[in-house]
Amino acid sequence: MGPKTDKSVWVIVPAYNEAPAIVPVVNDLIRRGYVVAVVDDGSGDDTAVRARQGGAVVIAHPVNLGQGAALQTGIRFALRHGAQFIVTFDADGQHRAGDIKNLLGALEAHRADFALGSRFLGSTVGMPASRRLLLRVATWFTRLTTGMQISDTHNGLRAMTRRGATYIALRQNRMAHASELLHEVAQSGLGYVEVPVTIEYSPYSLAKGQSVANSLRILLDLSTQRLHR
Amino acid sequence: MIAQIVLSMLLGGIIIYAWSECARAPIIGLVSMFTAAIGVYFVWFPSEASSLAARVGIGRGVDLFLYIWVVISLLVMLNLHLKLRAQLELITVLAREIAIAGADSQSRTK
Repeated sequence: MGPKTDKSVWVIVPAYNEAPAIVPVVNDLIRRGYVVAVVDDGSGDDTAVRARQGGAVVIAHPVNLGQGAALQTGIRFALRHGAQFIVTFDADGQHRAGDIKNLLGALEAHRADFALGSRFLGSTVGMPASRRLLLRVATWFTRLTTGMQISDTHNGLRAMTRRGATYIALRQNRMAHASELLHEVAQSGLGYVEVPVTIEYSPYSLAKGQSVANSLRILLDLSTQRLHR
Repeated sequence: MIAQIVLSMLLGGIIIYAWSECARAPIIGLVSMFTAAIGVYFVWFPSEASSLAARVGIGRGVDLFLYIWVVISLLVMLNLHLKLRAQLELITVLAREIAIAGADSQSRTK
């Protein structure tokens, strides 16, 4: 599995008002030979234009729906276009494109259908202590509710096989999708493996990150979803 | 007597509403129906409400009835929240189809 993987590896980049960051992200991914699909989630800036100029396929939501909805749109689009491997990747520049190779390699080596990036097995640059604590609590909650022994729950860098992707049907439009996705991985019964990755925080990515208030909303979203069909 | 009839009609309306919601939100529908049915019972047997209220430390039967009413109101609010969520899911499906169709047509014209 190398960079010249023609059209079998699709990298899905959900983006909302990411015009300042999207170009280097797309360029780096395309340079490595991946098909890049940017899901523009109703941005008010020129995220879509810049991504398209950079060579990405752009799927544009007519209104802002949330990162979970954008991911599901990207996964669906990639499956329709014959993707064999799907990678999810944040648009704010905090992920390293070089880690994708390790994720894809882990899928093959472990015969798994999901490779989940873990910053706690790998490394972080500039992560605030409050963010670390928040993520630890989220990880503990996910372990409790899914039974998955994982070290990092809200990491947007992950890879999945085509078979794995068909099990993903996110209904949580906003940030609760990360927990929902792990529930679906657990329920699918397919194999998963954690892979060390590096997350590089910048003032830009931190400003777009999650707060304690968001975490409470995630809990509420996950709870109410169980109450209706 | 008039108050009992009016309250029974209101609670009866809630039971019908909750029953109609059971298919979509079974837990909320069943709890609402059960709570409203208890409300109807207490409207027609206020002495039972008073004795139960005294046993659980509320004081008066009418207060117990008010508490039940508050619970029903909260359940209805929760149900409205879930309805909004269901509407959002439909909007999401629609927006997704539009987005994918747009991207598909752009791919074809390239």
